[in-house]
Amino acid sequence: MTDTTAVLGYAWPLTVSPGEAVRFHLSSATLQEAEATLLRVRCADPDPDGPGLRFEVPGTPLDGRVPLRHQPLRPGSCGIVGDAPALRRAGSFSVGAFLWPTAPRAGAQGIVTRWRDDTAQGWRLGLDAEGCLEFALGDGASTWRVSAPQPLLEREWVFVTAAYDAEKGELRLCQESLDPQAGRSRTAGAVAAGPRHFAPPAEVALVFAAQALETGVAPLTAAHYDGKIDRPRLCAGALSPGRLRALAEALHPAPGDPGLLGAWDFSRGISTDLIHDLSANRLDGWLRQTPARAMTGANWDGSTQQWTERPHLYGAIQFHSDDMHDAGWEADLEFRVPRDWKSGFYALRLRAREGSDDPVESFVAFFIRAPLGQARSKLAFVASTATFLAYANSALRLDQVHAESMLEGLIALSRDDVYLQEHRELGLSTYDTHSDGSGWCYSTAKRPVLNMRPRGATFNYGNDTHIIDWLEQTGQDYDVITDEDIHHQGAQLLAGYRCVVTGSHPEYFSRAMLDAFDSYQRDGGRHVYLGGNGFYWRIAFHPTLPHAMEIRRGMLGLRTWEGEAGENSLSYTGEPSGLWRANGRPPQRLVGVGFDAQVFTRSYPYRWLEGARDPRLSWMVDGIDLNAPLGDFGLRGGGAAGLEVDRVDPTLGSAPGMVWLATADRLDYGGVPTLEELRTLHRGAMGDQNARVRADIAFTPTARGGAVFSTGSIAWACALSHDGYDNAVARLTGNVIRRFLDPCPFEGF
Amino acid sequence: MLVNDPESAHWPVDPARLELVEEFRRAPRGPHSEALQKLLHRMRWSGVGRRHVLVVLEPNRRWMLARMPGQRGAPIETFPNRVFTSLAEAEWAVFVIRWEALTGTTLQDKNPSA
Repeated sequence: MTDTTAVLGYAWPLTVSPGEAVRFHLSSATLQEAEATLLRVRCADPDPDGPGLRFEVPGTPLDGRVPLRHQPLRPGSCGIVGDAPALRRAGSFSVGAFLWPTAPRAGAQGIVTRWRDDTAQGWRLGLDAEGCLEFALGDGASTWRVSAPQPLLEREWVFVTAAYDAEKGELRLCQESLDPQAGRSRTAGAVAAGPRHFAPPAEVALVFAAQALETGVAPLTAAHYDGKIDRPRLCAGALSPGRLRALAEALHPAPGDPGLLGAWDFSRGISTDLIHDLSANRLDGWLRQTPARAMTGANWDGSTQQWTERPHLYGAIQFHSDDMHDAGWEADLEFRVPRDWKSGFYALRLRAREGSDDPVESFVAFFIRAPLGQARSKLAFVASTATFLAYANSALRLDQVHAESMLEGLIALSRDDVYLQEHRELGLSTYDTHSDGSGWCYSTAKRPVLNMRPRGATFNYGNDTHIIDWLEQTGQDYDVITDEDIHHQGAQLLAGYRCVVTGSHPEYFSRAMLDAFDSYQRDGGRHVYLGGNGFYWRIAFHPTLPHAMEIRRGMLGLRTWEGEAGENSLSYTGEPSGLWRANGRPPQRLVGVGFDAQVFTRSYPYRWLEGARDPRLSWMVDGIDLNAPLGDFGLRGGGAAGLEVDRVDPTLGSAPGMVWLATADRLDYGGVPTLEELRTLHRGAMGDQNARVRADIAFTPTARGGAVFSTGSIAWACALSHDGYDNAVARLTGNVIRRFLDPCPFEGF
Repeated sequence: MLVNDPESAHWPVDPARLELVEEFRRAPRGPHSEALQKLLHRMRWSGVGRRHVLVVLEPNRRWMLARMPGQRGAPIETFPNRVFTSLAEAEWAVFVIRWEALTGTTLQDKNPSA
């Protein structure tokens, strides 16, 4: 059994151009060193029934022994305001905020703190291990605390206040439930003795949703809070709960009030990692590990679903104790990519304990792009990096109880999965829920990603390399460009190619990406879509941070978690998220087919339709027996139509000029339609009774001699290598690509 | 918040329906009759007996029986003495465990189909 996790790492940047440098950030808790080799990836799927792992070894100065060290991961988001004179005032003070705790009993949590744990100095408002609100002061020698008499309710808004009254020598706490009826009230107060004199420590940051372990402007933090904080206020003097509530309800408390030390408005700068103070002190701060922004505040009333319309209703940040945006590891290796290198999928291979019972072979993936304006081939293959990020470190099969039913069989866990089960600090995927049950809406490449590399889970990255393997096998040259490149550079990047191939599962698309493909197709471009469930979710890339994407799942679509009401717009850009189908651009409009079903029992062949005998398309089926099933073989379920499948539908945008070539519409009981395919509920919706549960192959001529060819199935790519690459699936794919590379217009269209 | 509730699987399992056991033994990977589909859903949704899974020892060649801890971050329990060389064989082994847990009856013949 090969150990794929004894050393882990990430490449930064994830995608580089020839001539640029890529750094490898590595860590091992057990190994002192490993043998590094830089590889060009041809096939990343170790399945011995297929091509198996296949690499090119270009030979680089990097190849050889690399010393390793342990670099920890520190998950958990928080907000940090560096120490400032206004925070060091002696005497009475008070704090207030709206809270919506999501895991109040998960352990002690800091909410608003100015505390250094190493010396137990400062103050902190937080939750104790029982979920009760607690306010504590410490001077290093003594700690004074007051606790609320009953714990906070999960996912219920409460306004909380804490006050230190130096004159009376008291600590006071108050919590007011915003919906106090029907057993939900946790309204309560508490008072305890405190010191008469208290001088806050110096050089200690104010922290939201955690507490500092040390001094400094960027301290290590602990006791991370799960939940929302909305409109926190910090005031001089021991103000009453009513006064603090009024200051929080006031969206713009008078900045001239000298007692107002800090009044944070998290609805400002939602697309950034900065937090803004409205007080005259300008106690602005920053966010660590990307907590969720554009989240509904205590005042959200359903009058809008879109934070950009009424941002003041989105003054909450939702923090998670397991948020992970940036591993922050130091680089161990750097490699400048020679200018003459081909673009492609690349990886750093790390081997250790070779020859032992438990050899280590771990990979760190990266991509070399063909830069804009420097195409070397007429054909581009798109690395679906948005999809790879969306699935990065998916724990779906570990955590989601429906997984075994959905996948129609025992869950088979890889060594990566076994590691991920125990090492949640890696940060999970946008398919997963945080430890508090809320969905992950952000994903980044600045951390090890176990399932975007050779030997990793085959879904997406591994399956896509079957297309690369087949291109290499047939001697077809190609450039690799990535989703993120298309997002940033748009249609002009695609326009450098006569034909662009999207892979087995280009599921996640930003608006700029969709616009680029639309423009490319309308300008005579030829697009080959060799997958299923493509162009499905609307996402955003972060406007400035590389390799960071966001999805809001909403309440429609095949979603493994459901967004909360009002929280389905992207914080990165303000755009609506959810399905492209719900955004007026169903996949059928772009590629003729769109997602309709999953089928994991087995995969199926297609049967040819009359369209395949269209004389205008004779070049496409050349050498293929139209009386035989197409693709009754393949590495995924024994067929070319399977896993996730797409169908033609004129009402969703399949074009009148489209030619429907083949269908796999007998998917039996394992064909399960996606949720948005059902208007009302009735029995008989599964594939054994419902021909709309199917995979379709379609050809669509577009303007100026362009065209789109779609196969509508994720399993397609893994049928290409069958029978020594000599099979009808490979032949059809080859016929299409060859003709699509030929600039002659399609006759008869 | 939308959650999945594995306890909601409630198709009544009849210990007398040994023909479903035989059907599964013959074809662990399907296709299956409607009644067997329902029995499998009952087993797979609820993960009766704590969720059994496989750990891949060699890709697409050898698998080891394992069991989820039911809690994030906790290690997966493995059964190194129970190694399978086909997925069908593994499916049958877990079916037997779940049948016995669901019905409280022991299967006399635990051998996979020849």
